[in-house]
Amino acid sequence: MEEYTNQVQIGEKLLEIKDLSIVYKTDLETVRAVNGISFSLREGETLGLVGETGAGKTTTALGIMKLLPERTARITSGQILFEDRDICGLDNHEMQQIRGQKISMIFQDPMTALNPVLTVGEQIGEALYLHHQKELSPKEIEQKVEETLELVGIPKERKNEYPYQFSGGMRQRVVIAIALVCNPRLLIADEPTTALDVTIQAQILSMICDLQRKYGTSVIMITHDLGVVAETCDQVAIMYAGEIVEYGTLADIFTGEEHHPYTTGLFGSIPSLTENSARLHPIEGLMPDPTDLPKGCSFSPRCGKCMEICRQQKPDVYEKEGHQIRCHLFGEGKVKE
Amino acid sequence: MSKSRKHAQLAEFWRRFRKNKTAVLGLVILIIILSMALFADLIVPYSKCIDQVGADRLQGSSMAHFFGTDELGRDLFARVVHGSRYSLLIGLATSLMALVIGAVLGASAGYFGGWVDNVISRIVDVFMCVPPILLSLAVVAALGTNLRNLIIAITVSCVPGNVRLIRSVVLTAAEQDYVEAAKSYGASNARIIFRYVLPNAMGPIIVNTTMSISDMMLSAAGLSFIGMGIQPPSPEWGALLSNAQIYLFSAPHMLLFPGLCILFSSLAFNLVGDGLTDALDPKLKD
Amino acid sequence: MSEILIEAVHLKKFFPTSRGTLHAVDDVSFSIEKGKTMGVVGESGCGKSTLGRTLLQLYEPTEGEILFRGKQVNHLSRGELKQVRPKMQMIFQDPYSSLNGRMTVQQLIAEPLLVNKVCKSKKEIQERVEHIMDTVGLAKRLAMAYPHELDGGRRQRIGVARALILRPEFVVCDEPVSALDVSIQAQILNLLMDLQDKMGLTYLFITHDLSVVKHISDEIMVMYLGKCVERAPSEEIFEHPVHPYTKALLAAIPIPSIESLHKKRHLLQGEVTSPVDPKPGCRFSGRCPYATDLCRQGEIPLREVSPGHFAACCRIEETDR
Repeated sequence: MEEYTNQVQIGEKLLEIKDLSIVYKTDLETVRAVNGISFSLREGETLGLVGETGAGKTTTALGIMKLLPERTARITSGQILFEDRDICGLDNHEMQQIRGQKISMIFQDPMTALNPVLTVGEQIGEALYLHHQKELSPKEIEQKVEETLELVGIPKERKNEYPYQFSGGMRQRVVIAIALVCNPRLLIADEPTTALDVTIQAQILSMICDLQRKYGTSVIMITHDLGVVAETCDQVAIMYAGEIVEYGTLADIFTGEEHHPYTTGLFGSIPSLTENSARLHPIEGLMPDPTDLPKGCSFSPRCGKCMEICRQQKPDVYEKEGHQIRCHLFGEGKVKE
Repeated sequence: MSKSRKHAQLAEFWRRFRKNKTAVLGLVILIIILSMALFADLIVPYSKCIDQVGADRLQGSSMAHFFGTDELGRDLFARVVHGSRYSLLIGLATSLMALVIGAVLGASAGYFGGWVDNVISRIVDVFMCVPPILLSLAVVAALGTNLRNLIIAITVSCVPGNVRLIRSVVLTAAEQDYVEAAKSYGASNARIIFRYVLPNAMGPIIVNTTMSISDMMLSAAGLSFIGMGIQPPSPEWGALLSNAQIYLFSAPHMLLFPGLCILFSSLAFNLVGDGLTDALDPKLKD
Repeated sequence: MSEILIEAVHLKKFFPTSRGTLHAVDDVSFSIEKGKTMGVVGESGCGKSTLGRTLLQLYEPTEGEILFRGKQVNHLSRGELKQVRPKMQMIFQDPYSSLNGRMTVQQLIAEPLLVNKVCKSKKEIQERVEHIMDTVGLAKRLAMAYPHELDGGRRQRIGVARALILRPEFVVCDEPVSALDVSIQAQILNLLMDLQDKMGLTYLFITHDLSVVKHISDEIMVMYLGKCVERAPSEEIFEHPVHPYTKALLAAIPIPSIESLHKKRHLLQGEVTSPVDPKPGCRFSGRCPYATDLCRQGEIPLREVSPGHFAACCRIEETDR
């Protein structure tokens, strides 16, 4: 199994999420976006959060950043332990110390993530200025900005240019430079390459991996693309309707014997480049309404192997050598063939 | 579209409009003001507007004169009631005309672009340079003073702003993919403008129009003030208002009642306009 | 060989911009046989969407001809265009912005019938709408719904129904699945393939996703900055790509299996340059690892490297294998 990992020194536990649930509550309805997820991440490790629109991936990320919309979102249960401290209990001021310095985030759309009226140099320097204005002189900040630009493959002469002078791929490099300038311990990348072309996507992904290897940063890679997961991740969590339905190492997910039916469905939906098949095998039906989740397993209405018990009762986690599957087909439920 | 379905859509529209309490309040005020204008002669005879009673000058509210009297001893209640006819007519007629002209010109400029846009926009720019009141004055001066010409004059001053607004909202609405889709199955330009572009640009247009109704009433007042609008002794709210400023401290009721009427009618139009925008937008259903 | 349905001959579409002339489609020729699918692949800005729209007469071509059933269809009069339009339809990328939010599903699908005055009675319209809704898998009860009440997959089915209700022969699919989730994407792809079999449709399938295009196409055309750089039958182009850009494109796709991790990938350096007033010579020469002075001198024509396989590269012999 070791041969598949990114050859990074995997260190101590950096982030642990225990039984996290997040709801969005408005006067009209309660959207249950994240329902009791748990995972952990060690130093230098990359975790892939995979799922479709509405699976709760971005909500989880915003929860870790403590950037959930204050008026509607509530963390109803669970803990987010970062460096053994529960982030949920921190006030805004303490969180600002962590955000941008120890945890930073890359957003999906590089076209809107940058402020059009500031030069890229100013935007990269902003985080440094906010967190280190006491230790660093303006000159040192300038120097660090230049170093970071070179690091992401942009000539440092371009630091005085404005975002509109950059192409999409270059802007995403700027966004990554902003995220990395403080050498964070955890980087959350929310669909970092979805808005980019394939050849540019390949450049950006390999750059993220190189930088991670260099600095031992932990990465949470949020994506819907299993190809991206195969190339970048060590651990994979497949999310569906706010739950982690399957969780394991890259090898568990891609070559393991046992799988959650949703994972099987996801793989069946992708047209293969290497094999020829006449038809795809999509998952029928739609994602359940998060304001009105099914009583038993959330996937049961779409599942080809749905049994009576699936509609009645939430499945427990079945675990085998660290590979977790939340399905009645395995473990206790297996008796009912 | 069958009759029953039209009916169902109307019922649906009414149901959604009714949900908006402030819009319903606006509608109620509007109905009161409109019926005041319609049945003015039944409420109080027109003669009371022009009867000058020398002894009753500048009186406050009383049972004989609900809203008091003006500097010539005319009954202010009668003048306000009959004045609503002129004011509402001017406000509604000018706003609607400016809307129609603005929609045609603005939509053509925004949708066709190119030289059509250039010609319309440059002409509008020229008109925008002239202060609206001056524009109205010039028109009245050229055509002569009467109600019809007053309406034309105020409409002319309002059109350029409308064209600009509608052009800009149409520009965004015309960029949508569904417009291209409509072209791909062969829809004509007129159909695209009226069925795809304008309905999706309606929100800001309705709000602008309802807001402009009160503006128009005040423009008319301004013109009346300098003698280019409604000619005395005909009552009109704006004219009543400008008439009242000399007596601001000695007889504040002269300012109060016409002022309140203008305030409530413009408020009512705005509330109804907001309600309309929401009720017509299927995305805001329920 | 079966009948050729649509053909483009030296098609060019340029747009004047303030910085110069944008060469969106620059001398592209191809033909599609009836009932077949031509896939067009390329990165953003390569002119693939412009190509589709030019074929459908949404843009007037700058130069070149479009032949539909052997008859020239560009430079038609309004009346003649009205005859041809219903035969050529389009499915759009974004199921959110391509539907007018103020019309119900029923109205949206019936609109092409009304515009082209195809049906004589309201009953006939009703029947055809119901029939096509059934064909694309939309439940009847959704007829009175508004598009914003539906999810992306269902909305895209409305887009498909709207394109097919005029019973077209040729459909341009402009990235019809890129805005959808993978599981929904597969549903729509299956639907498009079933409909092709059932109705004998001919597709021009535009996408940036190579795995999708491989799945659905008979022939594939790779575009780069307005030029067709390689064109070949689907299998051939994946098994034996010859143009350096095609090779780079194939190498850049992340493959969802871990066996592929052992492969060393050759990443393409640099980014797509501007299509405004391009320099003469091969458009790809700036990023191409094999480029020589020869590549930058003149236009590189497409040539047949093996039967049915065309590529525009002057160094194929040296770089291949």
